[in-house]
Amino acid sequence: MRISTSQFHQRALDSLFSQQDALSRTQNQIATGKRIQTPADDPIGAVHILELQRAQSELDQFKRNSDAATARLTVAEQALGDSGLILQRVRELVVQANSGVIDDTARAAISIELQQRASELLDIANRRDGNGEFLFSGYATTTQPFARIGASVTYAGDQGGRVLQVAPTQRIADGDSGFSVFQNVTQGNGTFVTAANVANTGSGSIDTGQVVNAGAWVPQTYTITFVAPDSYQITNSVPTTIVPAAPGNFAAGSAISFNGVQVKIDGAPATGDKFTVATSQKEDIFTSIDKVIAALAPSVTSAPQRAQLTTKLAGALQQLDQADSHLINVRTDVGARLSTLDSTSTARQDLSVDLQAAVSKLSDVDYADAISRLTRQQLGLQAAQQSYANISKLSLFNYL
Amino acid sequence: MVDMLSSATSGLLAFQRALDTTSHNISNVNTDGYSRQRVEIATRLPQPYSNGFVGTGAEVTTIRRQYDVYLGDQARNSSSALERSNAYVGNANTLDSLFANSDIGLSASLQKFINAFQDLSNAPSSTPARQVVLSQAQSFRDRLQSFDNRLTDIATQINSQLGDEANTISSLAKNIATLNGTIAIEQRRTGQPPNDLLDQRDHLLDQLATHINVQIARQDDGSVIVSVGAGQPLVVGTQASTLVAMPDAYDASRNGIAIKTAGSQVDITTRLSGGKLGGLLDFRSNLLDTTRNQLGQLGVALSEQVNNQQRAGFDLNGNFGANIFNIGGVDSLARSTNVGSGALAITRQQPSAGALTDRNYIMQYGGSGWTLQRADTGAAVALSGAGTLLSPFQADGLSIVVSGAPTIGDSFLVRPTHSAVSGMNLLVSDPNAIAAAAPIATKVATTNTGSGQISAGEVLLVTNPALLTPVNLVFNSTTTYQVNGAGASIAYTPGANIDINGWRVVLNGSPASGDSFAIGPNTNPAGDNRNALKISDALNANVLSAGTVSLNAGAGNIIGKIGVATSQAQSSQAAQQIVFNDNVNAKESVSGVNLDEEAGNMLRFQQAYQAAAQAIKVADTLFQTILSAVQR
Repeated sequence: MRISTSQFHQRALDSLFSQQDALSRTQNQIATGKRIQTPADDPIGAVHILELQRAQSELDQFKRNSDAATARLTVAEQALGDSGLILQRVRELVVQANSGVIDDTARAAISIELQQRASELLDIANRRDGNGEFLFSGYATTTQPFARIGASVTYAGDQGGRVLQVAPTQRIADGDSGFSVFQNVTQGNGTFVTAANVANTGSGSIDTGQVVNAGAWVPQTYTITFVAPDSYQITNSVPTTIVPAAPGNFAAGSAISFNGVQVKIDGAPATGDKFTVATSQKEDIFTSIDKVIAALAPSVTSAPQRAQLTTKLAGALQQLDQADSHLINVRTDVGARLSTLDSTSTARQDLSVDLQAAVSKLSDVDYADAISRLTRQQLGLQAAQQSYANISKLSLFNYL
Repeated sequence: MVDMLSSATSGLLAFQRALDTTSHNISNVNTDGYSRQRVEIATRLPQPYSNGFVGTGAEVTTIRRQYDVYLGDQARNSSSALERSNAYVGNANTLDSLFANSDIGLSASLQKFINAFQDLSNAPSSTPARQVVLSQAQSFRDRLQSFDNRLTDIATQINSQLGDEANTISSLAKNIATLNGTIAIEQRRTGQPPNDLLDQRDHLLDQLATHINVQIARQDDGSVIVSVGAGQPLVVGTQASTLVAMPDAYDASRNGIAIKTAGSQVDITTRLSGGKLGGLLDFRSNLLDTTRNQLGQLGVALSEQVNNQQRAGFDLNGNFGANIFNIGGVDSLARSTNVGSGALAITRQQPSAGALTDRNYIMQYGGSGWTLQRADTGAAVALSGAGTLLSPFQADGLSIVVSGAPTIGDSFLVRPTHSAVSGMNLLVSDPNAIAAAAPIATKVATTNTGSGQISAGEVLLVTNPALLTPVNLVFNSTTTYQVNGAGASIAYTPGANIDINGWRVVLNGSPASGDSFAIGPNTNPAGDNRNALKISDALNANVLSAGTVSLNAGAGNIIGKIGVATSQAQSSQAAQQIVFNDNVNAKESVSGVNLDEEAGNMLRFQQAYQAAAQAIKVADTLFQTILSAVQR
């Protein structure tokens, strides 16, 4: 083919330009370490990288959420542990107070320590987390949850439980409301609670009883009335009926059974003395301690007073055990959440490493490949320049 | 001897011309558009004698330029296609690198916004966390707007480039028309082709073709007719039309191209193709407009998702949240030639994000009713409804109410998301106004004896007027409950949804008879993060493209589409370059000057010239011989 002179030069220059362009691209890749300079270099790869980077950023966020939940739950767990210790001490004091050799003065001393323990527990229930939010006030984290108003402790929080997102579809509660920790404790043995009438004149005391047949229990308030020192009858509250129909014969320490439950009355009740077996409700832990303090207040000199104290302290011990096991349940739950957070953190770290590897594979330049390409292109450009310089000197006019 | 002298002289003259032409070729080796010329030499008429015809020498019949019309046209057409690609790729590269940086990109900015809501959910009462949500909202909106502004800048640049192109094309057309006249006159006067003038005109045509695709018809008198677009004549003989940039009939801020002939002006924007002008127009309608609409779509979807959920929650002060974002409305642009008083009021359906498209539409009144069609393809789009306030027209996520008295043929350009981003701004500046909390709270009565539990509750319909009315679910047996302790007994199914007054709760466990569960307004929402989580969910939800694409994927798709379009344009540019090179090589191999060839020719003609001179000398010697023979 015939080639014009200007065309010869143009062609040579075009090829130099395109080699220079390729060389500069490779150089750019090596300098930035990025295989994809703009999305047009690899549109699918570029979008994929964006998605991976988004996933990484989301993962970092989940880590932050998880850290926040862990911090808060750890503080809560500590508070629950501290509360448990206080309950143990209260229990010891109650056992001590229940001993027959303790006199009024010693009980007064125990009562004072109990009051201090109660206010210590109140302080724990009002603890805050690292952000200054109250741990146990539900959603109302800026409101102090518990306060002693008059004789009783009232709860000003709500029953909300905040959850945090720690994985794409996993949410974990970062705390428990004061209601569920300190208030929602079942009374008595969980089914019923026993009590002695304050006006009793005999020395009979009732134990906390037990459920022998849960299916036969009908939730009601039952009154065991002694119609004679050795005979009692049990009445229902609504409607007032006698259960069972015939009065029972009483022997101290023997079991009284009805409607699937069984209680024992010790000592010598007098005619007209009354004991109640009532359906369990909820009782907050502060009330339980307050009840012990109230029970210890009156002086105990007579057998009936001793019987009242025995009944109340037996009930209180049971209630403290309920509260303790309730706190242990909550604490176990918190521990389980902390362990879940721990395992999601491991999974997250693995995923994060995978994501980074994937991004690097897509976006990072393969240096071995790039540098060998650079050398090749350099050589090509050099050869083109040299051959152009040589060939362009050739002309017939040189020989005329 | 006279014959010999005259024939040698004729050769001398012919070779003189040939050498002249060779040196003309050498001089123009670097002249753009020059075609090498050749002297065509033929024998002169021979002298008839009885013993035969005696030759009388050579003569120059013509000087012809070496130019193949077919190859010339091919090279010109491929340069049109190449320049179109160059203009398209140049602009596409700008867009591509604009969206390239992933650190400051849309996707990263959007994820930061979502993360801010997650951080808020960790500490809903924290003012700094709330402040971060607002600043991330602001920064996402700024990012979106900075992209939108860049697109507007590019559109403005294209507007002025269109004007420049129109001027260049008009002046080239004028020069071609002038040359047409000169060529016709010269050719008529001499009967010979005016080679250098023809080269000049072909060069002008080549230049014209880099700006726009042209069709060329050659006339007998040597002139050409040049037409553009769908046969609109640009040059006829010595008459040239002008191209002008003129405002679009719908959108005056956007230039189109019109051809101006003898006072009449016709818009030919959509008919033009090829060349730099064609590349600019293609880029604008294919990539620029679509990208801008897609940004708008993203902005609309994001603000709808955030605003709707924000309104369904309680802020830190215990009030319902207000919209965080304001977003630009739907463009409805009347055609400048509309006669009637018809007007369109267009809003986006709520929620619209899934149904909106990245397209623009033309809405036209046809006498008996309105029709809607896509602006790019003209394909009809079905309209439902009657166009009244009570029953608006509905199509592709839009709700259109017509008013006034339109005239047949009146039309409007409808752009659903074009101006959405430019009108986007933040309505909230108080960090406490972010609705992180749910408006309702649930409570187990402290006197309950059963183990029944109630879920935290969620809002289904925030507009329900009774949403915040306190409600008690009271169990009148272990298996049935009554609302507020009265009315019908409702069977209790653990875990089943209970939907009342626009909220939903779930009861679980074994409630005892007499137990009650309260649902009421959230009176102390400081630490509640339920709505913050819901906003974060809403931002992660699939909302675009009929609920199949998330906002993040949508942002990625914008970048992906630009990347694909740019990469396609680059490969097509590379292919065009090869075709162009081949065609130019083919044309140049006929027309181009080769210096070695000219050196050879020079030697050849020089030798022939010297030989002819020798022949004259011989004729002279012969003549002297005769003279001396007869000299006495």
